[in-house]
Amino acid sequence: MNTNPAIPDPDGFYAALVAAHEGLSEAQSAQLNAALVFLLANQCGQQQVLLDCVAEARRTVLDGEA
Amino acid sequence: MAEFKFAPPYELPEYPFTPPPELRGEAPQRYPIVIVGAGPAGLTLACDLAQRGVRCVLIDDDHTVGVRGASSRGICYAQKSLEIMDRLGIGERIVNKGVAWSFGRTFSGDEEVYSFNLQNQSVSRQPPFVNLQQFYIEWFLVDRIQTLGLTDLRWHSRVSDVQPQADHVVLQVQTPQGSYRMEAEYLIDATGANSPIRQQIGLETHSSRSTDRWCITDVRFKKPLPVERWTWVDAPFNNGRAVWQHLMADNVWRMDYQMSEDMDPEVISRPEVAGERIRAQLGDDVEFEFVWIGPYQYRDHLLDDFRHGRVFFIGDSAHVVSPFGARGGNTGIQDAFNLGWKLVLVTTGQAPDSLLDSYSIERQPAAAENLRVTSRSARFLAPRSPAELVLRSAVLKLARRHAFARPLVNTGRMSVANDYPASPWLPQGSRTVQNLTLLDATGQSQSLMDLLRAGTCFVGLWFSPPLGEAQRACSALAALPIDLYAIGHSEALPVKQDPEGVLARHLGLDPAACAGTLCLIRPDAYLAATIPACTAAHLQQTLQTALFANATP
Repeated sequence: MNTNPAIPDPDGFYAALVAAHEGLSEAQSAQLNAALVFLLANQCGQQQVLLDCVAEARRTVLDGEA
Repeated sequence: MAEFKFAPPYELPEYPFTPPPELRGEAPQRYPIVIVGAGPAGLTLACDLAQRGVRCVLIDDDHTVGVRGASSRGICYAQKSLEIMDRLGIGERIVNKGVAWSFGRTFSGDEEVYSFNLQNQSVSRQPPFVNLQQFYIEWFLVDRIQTLGLTDLRWHSRVSDVQPQADHVVLQVQTPQGSYRMEAEYLIDATGANSPIRQQIGLETHSSRSTDRWCITDVRFKKPLPVERWTWVDAPFNNGRAVWQHLMADNVWRMDYQMSEDMDPEVISRPEVAGERIRAQLGDDVEFEFVWIGPYQYRDHLLDDFRHGRVFFIGDSAHVVSPFGARGGNTGIQDAFNLGWKLVLVTTGQAPDSLLDSYSIERQPAAAENLRVTSRSARFLAPRSPAELVLRSAVLKLARRHAFARPLVNTGRMSVANDYPASPWLPQGSRTVQNLTLLDATGQSQSLMDLLRAGTCFVGLWFSPPLGEAQRACSALAALPIDLYAIGHSEALPVKQDPEGVLARHLGLDPAACAGTLCLIRPDAYLAATIPACTAAHLQQTLQTALFANATP
C-alpha cells in the first residue's frame, strides 16, 4: 500500500469528488462512494494492496473515534 | 380458490430387514470396516470398497433411499463426483437419467449480470455437472453394491451406542428383531448432519444457523425453459429476493425462493402461497403440478478433525455448509473416495494405519474451504446491514455496465475438487486429475478412470521414459500398488498416446519438453507428485512417501 502522495492533482481530484456528490441524497452518496470503491479497486488490481487499504480505512475510522 | 395438483409420490425401492448372524445365535464378530449411514457418502464408500474387492458392513436406520419427507435434497452432481460414479460403474446410468449442464446465468432484476460456462475448463469425459434427484444416486449405488455382492447391507438397523477402544470400536445395534453387539476395526460415521455417533463421542462442531429463510418448490410444467442454472439476486417476481431455477430428472424443475426472514414456514409452504410464487415467475397461465414444497433454513458446522481414533467422519457428519454451489453432497462423495483406497491399503497390510491420518489432513481443509466459499455466497445473498446492502447494490449496478464487476456477483461458486495442501504424504500438495481420454497405439481410447477402475493402484504416467529406467522401475516396484504406463513410446511399458498434448498440459507440463517426466496419480485420481527426469529409485521413493510419509515401511 502506497501512503506517499501519488495523486497528480490532489485539489482537482478532491473538487471532482465533492462535485460528484452535489445534489445527491445521503443514500445516493453512499451508493456513489461504494461504486467508486469498486471502480478504483479494479484499477489497482493488487489483492494485498486492496486488503491493506481496506484495513487501513477501517483503522482510520475507528482510531478517529478514539 | 385455485386448485393445485400434486404429482403422485415417487415409488422408491424398499429393502428388507434380514436378521444378521448376531441375531441368529452367533457370537459377536469384529468386522474390519463398518459404515453407518446409507446416504450418498456412506453408499459411495461401500461401493468404492466393493469395487476394490473389499467387504464391509453398511448399517442404515431406514429401509429405502432418499431423505424421509423430502422429495430430494441434493440435485447437482459435480464433475469429480461424476468421475467417481463412472469408476464405480453407474456413470452412464446417472448421465442418462439426469440433466447435464455447464452454463449458469445470474440476473439482477430483469438483466443478466454474470454468466459462466464450466465446459471451458473441462478435459474430462464427464460433463461439468449433472442434475439428478439425490435418491436416484442412492438408488443406483445400492443397485451397484448389490451387483458387486461384497457388502453386508443391514437396513432397519440403528446404532444406539458406540464405545471407541484403542484398536476397535464396540457398537450396539437396534433392529426390529432385537439388539445386538458388534465390533469394528474401523468405524465410518456417515449418518449425516445430526450424527448420533458424533454427538455421543461429544465432538465440538462449531455450528451456526442462519436466519435466512428459503422455500424449495419442485414443480413440473410444460413451459420450455433453457437447461441452464439461472439465479436471480433480486428477482422482481419475488419481492426483490433471490431465486434459483434448475432442471433435474423427470422434467422436474427446482425453484428455490428466498423468503423474508420473519415468514412462517407453514404459510410459505402452503400450496396456494407456493402456487402464487410459481405464477408470478412463469405467468398466470402456466399449468403445473407440485412435486415437493420444502421450506428450510441453512446451517453449517465443521469438525476440527475428521478422525477420532478408529472412528472416521465423512459427509455431513463431518461438515455442513449452506447449499450455494452444491458443495455439500459432492464433498461427502469425495470424502468417501479419498478414504476408500486408504482403508483398502491399510486393512490389506499394504500401508500403515498412519495413511488414514491423511484423510482428515486432506479433507478437513477442503471442507473448511467449502465453508469459507459458501459463507461468502450466503452473505452476498443476505446482506446483514444497510452498508452491506449498499455495497451489493453498487456491485449489481456496476455489473450491468462493466465486465470487471461481474465476477463480484456471487450467487454460489460451483463445487470443485478441492486442492490439497502440502503434507508429509504430498510434499508438492495435490490437485485432482480430470478423467481425460488416453489413446493406445491402435487408437483405442481409455480414460484415466478406466486405468484406475479395478483394484487399488497408483498410476504412473511416464512421458517418453528412458528404456533402462523403465525396466528397472518395473522390477523394483513389482510388489507395490502401482501400474506404470508410458506416454509416447516405450519397449518396457504399456503405451498411451497424448497426440494433442492435452494430458501433458492438464498435468501442468509443456508437451514439447516433458520427456522423462513421470506424473504419479493416486487411486483417487489426485496428482501425488510430478517427477522430472524420473528414475526408478526416485519413483520408488516418491511412492513410499505417498503411502508411508515419514513412517518406516
